[in-house]
Amino acid sequence: MADTPLLEAKGLTKRYGSTLALDAVDFQVTEGVTGLLGPNGAGKSTAIKLFLGLLTPTEGAAEVLGERPYDSVDVRSRLGYMPEHDCLPPAISASEFLGHMAQVSGLPPEHARIRAADVLRHVGLHEERYRPLSEYSTGMKQRVKLAQALVHDPVLVLLDEATAGLDPAGRDEMLELIRRTSREAGISILLSSHLMGDVERTCDRIIVLEGGHVVEQGAVSGFTQETSTLVIDVDDEEKLAAALSSRGIETNRDGTSLVVELANDELYDAVRDAIVETDVRLHRLAPRRGGLTDIFRGDEKHD
Amino acid sequence: MTEQTGEIFDLGYQRYEGPREGRMRARHALWLNGVRTAIGLGRGWQSKVLPGLLFLGVIAPAVLFSVGASAVDPGEELPTHADYYWIVNIVVLLFSATTAPEMLCPDRRDRVLDLYLVRPLTTTDYVIGRWFAFFSIMLALVYAGQIVLFIGLTLAADEPLEYLRDQWLDIPRLLAVGAAIAAFATSIPLAISTFTIRRTYAAAIVIALFLISVPVASVLSVCEETEDQFGTVQECEPVTGDAAKWFALLSFPDVPMHINDLVFDEEIDSPLAELVREQNAAVPVAWFALLTAVPGIVLWWQYRRMAL
Repeated sequence: MADTPLLEAKGLTKRYGSTLALDAVDFQVTEGVTGLLGPNGAGKSTAIKLFLGLLTPTEGAAEVLGERPYDSVDVRSRLGYMPEHDCLPPAISASEFLGHMAQVSGLPPEHARIRAADVLRHVGLHEERYRPLSEYSTGMKQRVKLAQALVHDPVLVLLDEATAGLDPAGRDEMLELIRRTSREAGISILLSSHLMGDVERTCDRIIVLEGGHVVEQGAVSGFTQETSTLVIDVDDEEKLAAALSSRGIETNRDGTSLVVELANDELYDAVRDAIVETDVRLHRLAPRRGGLTDIFRGDEKHD
Repeated sequence: MTEQTGEIFDLGYQRYEGPREGRMRARHALWLNGVRTAIGLGRGWQSKVLPGLLFLGVIAPAVLFSVGASAVDPGEELPTHADYYWIVNIVVLLFSATTAPEMLCPDRRDRVLDLYLVRPLTTTDYVIGRWFAFFSIMLALVYAGQIVLFIGLTLAADEPLEYLRDQWLDIPRLLAVGAAIAAFATSIPLAISTFTIRRTYAAAIVIALFLISVPVASVLSVCEETEDQFGTVQECEPVTGDAAKWFALLSFPDVPMHINDLVFDEEIDSPLAELVREQNAAVPVAWFALLTAVPGIVLWWQYRRMAL
């Protein structure tokens, strides 16, 4: 069941005049949290609009639960969408707005009211639900945007730059909320972002788009596994570097850290001995983990 | 004795297992939201002031007519339902000019439209939902006054039952004309509202269109005869000559009133209306249909071509 595709791009191509936004891409989004990562202009927003049925592919197909949303609008009632931009009417309360959005998604009025209250509690806005949206902070508005995407209890939610405009604390809270929504509610999430940190912290899988092509896809753990690079933080890196050099071990600098490429396990012993010999204070000695930034650096290859 | 206190449990996110009523519910919700928006429900008191005042402006003549009808001497002519439509027509159009942009402009300005179109709704559903929402409000507005007037005239009659028997045909007539006024007052302001996201601009354009068209039509088609110092009537020719009866149609507020005159078989004392009456009855009807249908098509087309 975990591998059932919720979204599937089959040779998906979208062209705007002479501009090719997506070039015959193939990928699947299954249950869990999937990151759609890429720089601006990579084709992320075009892909999302195709899956929401707002655009029609030039070639290929964008399928949602096996259906094509640009041919049949009914399947959209099982999708949620949180846009990057502002989309909230300022004059009405969050409660009224969510109740209305639930009804527009097909829920009867009495159920819509209850769902609005439940979802506002889930995103932490239960106390403020009767205040006009114009009085909300940026963080609160982001939560209302997420709430409206969840109010009809969709199978899958598409989040477009969900942390845009948030300060670091607000960003942490939003990412935790997204994670919790997937974990507690079992709602699958497609998180479109150009922020690798957001995707790395939140997602199980990742699809990387660049220039309208899929350049990488797979489990995030596959991109963040341990590498053969050893990172050493000590209080006197010059002294340690000299000691390692005298042992024939080449070192590089990465900020205030020394970096050693581990050709074999014996090098660990040599590094340990050099630290003991120089009597430097050791703060950290650990293999470096791969990061999503490496995808764009091209200096690491992952399976 | 310990005081009993309540305890709140966070049950976490609850899945929804209730009914899903699909696209029909979505359309109904959109219609209902439009009706509430037009009269300011769910919003601050400021949103209710203008619709409230204009509603009173429509009802007040009906009440005055009813009171006046009970005071007239037997044999004197009573105010009619056709008279009432002529009197409140401008208030109805003013209401539509100021309120119709509220139905469309904020959804595009605040980009709520994006959220509608990712739900089980098409742009056609959206346009139809908003059009019917405002049409419903306009119908309620024009019918409310006529209902008050009908009850008032019936009660003011010496023999109310006899009055009902004689005047029953007024009911389908006032319903038909009311629907025509409501459709006309819905289509044009909504179509104009698709060209701007600012409500005030849209309202100003609609009001200008309605108000300016009257003197324009008059200047082009009406020429008032005058008397010289010897009391001789000086005949004059309208600047548009024989085409004056066509230019008389340019007075937009009068367009649904020509339907009013035809349906009630009345001849209102108005120079523009007199010129229009020189035409075949099919002309003002076709003109009305054109000015109601074309803005409706423009409205639909504008939303069809809008990219998210």
